[in-house]
Amino acid sequence: MSLMPFAPSRPLSIGVELELQLLSCNDYNLSSSAPDMLRRVEKRAHPGEIKPEMTRSMIEINTSVKQEYSGLVEELHALRDVVCDAGRFLNVAVAGGGTHPFQHWSEQKIFDAPRFHHLSELYGYLAKQFTIFGQHVHIGCPGPDEALHLMHMLSRYVPHFIALSASSPFVQGHDTGFASARLNSVFSFPLSGRAPFVLCWDDFERFFGKMTGTGVVESMKDFYWDIRPKPEFGTIEVRVCDTPLTVEIAASIACYIQAMSRYIMVEQRVAPEEDDYLVYTFNRFQACRFGLEGVFIDPRTHEQRSIREDITDMLGRIADHARELHAVEAMERIRDILIAGNGTSWLRQTYAREHNLADVMQLQAELWMGK
Amino acid sequence: MTWSAYLPVWPLEISPALWLALTLVVAVLVGEVLVRQLRLPRIVGYIGIGVLLGPGGLGLIPQLPATEWRLVIDLALGILLFELGSKVNLRWLKANPWIAGTSLLETVATFVVVFLLLTWFEVAAVTAAVVAAIAIATSPAIVVRTVTESRAQGQVTDRLLLMTALNCIYAVIFHKLAVAAMHGQTGVSFVHTALQPIYLLGGSALLAWLFGITFERIHHYLGHHEETFSFVLFGMIAFATIMASTLKLSPILVLLVAGLVTRYQRKRTRTFPPHFGSAGAVLVVLMFIANGLAGDLNGLRYSLLLVLLLIAVRTIAKLLSVLALAHYSGIGVRQAMALGLALVPMSSVALLLTLDTAATFPDFGSGLGLVLMSCIVILELAGPIVVQKALQIAGETPDKKT
Repeated sequence: MSLMPFAPSRPLSIGVELELQLLSCNDYNLSSSAPDMLRRVEKRAHPGEIKPEMTRSMIEINTSVKQEYSGLVEELHALRDVVCDAGRFLNVAVAGGGTHPFQHWSEQKIFDAPRFHHLSELYGYLAKQFTIFGQHVHIGCPGPDEALHLMHMLSRYVPHFIALSASSPFVQGHDTGFASARLNSVFSFPLSGRAPFVLCWDDFERFFGKMTGTGVVESMKDFYWDIRPKPEFGTIEVRVCDTPLTVEIAASIACYIQAMSRYIMVEQRVAPEEDDYLVYTFNRFQACRFGLEGVFIDPRTHEQRSIREDITDMLGRIADHARELHAVEAMERIRDILIAGNGTSWLRQTYAREHNLADVMQLQAELWMGK
Repeated sequence: MTWSAYLPVWPLEISPALWLALTLVVAVLVGEVLVRQLRLPRIVGYIGIGVLLGPGGLGLIPQLPATEWRLVIDLALGILLFELGSKVNLRWLKANPWIAGTSLLETVATFVVVFLLLTWFEVAAVTAAVVAAIAIATSPAIVVRTVTESRAQGQVTDRLLLMTALNCIYAVIFHKLAVAAMHGQTGVSFVHTALQPIYLLGGSALLAWLFGITFERIHHYLGHHEETFSFVLFGMIAFATIMASTLKLSPILVLLVAGLVTRYQRKRTRTFPPHFGSAGAVLVVLMFIANGLAGDLNGLRYSLLLVLLLIAVRTIAKLLSVLALAHYSGIGVRQAMALGLALVPMSSVALLLTLDTAATFPDFGSGLGLVLMSCIVILELAGPIVVQKALQIAGETPDKKT
């Protein structure tokens, strides 16, 4: 199977996918209610899409293609409300966050669809371990070569996206000490990590052809890269974020990526280098482990600072682009995260107050559902 | 000194408690065999052994004093009812009124078809009403126990628990009213006919509310120490059960409503160990054995046809009611079939209501009461299996693999 041609898309348009947790209102454990929820939302008109995911305690909401923050946040609200109304009707709570704090992976049930059964057979328990909840952000690109350029330039800032969205400190009943423990589950997949350093689409097609030739992959979907091109949409897809605790934060992070992309395409105009990736896994680990406090090493200057400082610096550089994109409010929210902390800080503080992970989960659901 | 001073006298004088202890061991072993060999619920074994060894079966176990048994049943049922009430989220009814509608329809349909069947068999109207009221109740004991044992969760499980709690409340209320009507027929003055159910329902509600409030206070004080909390709770349930009987209120109503009140008032959810710890679990096992021992199949001789028809129309009424509103309440046909069937079990609540009626009206006990007892024995034995299969059909039990 050859690679799809890169579809045209409006540059810097955005789209957001969010994987959400479905919870029982009795104990706030995950509940396998995706089939019931999907049957319920089918009846209601809503923008975007609502889809099943790997296991039956997950549901995914996708926005349509958006240009700016206000439209994005409005559509995410509409999607959230449809899902939450269905949840209330069915005694199911809905929440953000990258992991469920005390679910047992072995209790999860694979969603009844051929693709998910296939993945479950291939990956075994990894498929059930994959009951984790991420945010994917699509950025429209003028062409395939520009898409590859943007992908490699954004890779430098992957720690920003991880640290801002991090909201998964608890796994299987314990504090892991990580800001985003969710990504540890992604790294266990054989085709995770970063895309190869290829700068033009012809080369990328050749790489893809060789990979399919080996029989390792069948489609782009088999690559679990942190950022990957999505030729059928004409976008690149940033996949490292945890689902944040509110839709507003989700929209703000998407717009932060959007404004940064505009800065890269319009103002920065520097070519990516393969050596940029020397610090990639180190920086990414620091972001997963320590969040905003993590160390960030600049690949070109080798300067060390905290991820928080690097984001503050970036906010200054992209301020004009954010204004152009009507994303000033989104940038304010990003600044708030730098001061008040990310989802992981909120979760740890709440746990310190409540001493009970089920209570944390209940408050997390109330936060998401907007009561 | 003679031999008899320190050696037991032959034949041995064995207290009934020994037989009881032995029955407990045998019943638990049989329950284990059922689970491992046939994948049937354990409680089928407990009840089955009770029926088999009890006075109604082989008669190996001598009749035990009714009051002692009654205490075991009351306490264990109290635990299960409180457990059921505290698992049920009444706020759900506001978000999804179709579930309340389904519950009402199912209750009324069951009452009406059983009533019509009995009047067709030329049973007096008041007596028919009493039996029809008892037939409304789904067994909370079997439902809670089977859900716990099968670790089921999902729409059917949640609705089953909710609708069981509701139809038990309806059954007790209908039953009290029907019994009041029965008193009215025996020439008791109207004042007593009317006041008795009012006292009973009002008093039970008040006691339940006080229990709920006290419970929350203690819970707040003890906080997260769940084991200590289970012990306190256990004592409170025993206290409330005995208090309710002493005040001639309905222990069933008090404990069930107390559970609902605590759950409704609580801001955070709490999970407790099943049956609030192992002491509760032992009582529950004993209760199922006791239910079996109390089982009386003489009704089959009285009228086999009526027993079978009663079970059939009751099942159909519950099943069709759930199916009729399934679409509006947000479940599929398969789930509705499972839910309708899972509402079928009868056990402790029906048993206690029947025994209470028979104690007041001996004629009832030797007549229709026998028919009802036979229905209860059959639905008690079949009930756990039906609930287990229904939850499996609905896909709400854990995956078998891994």
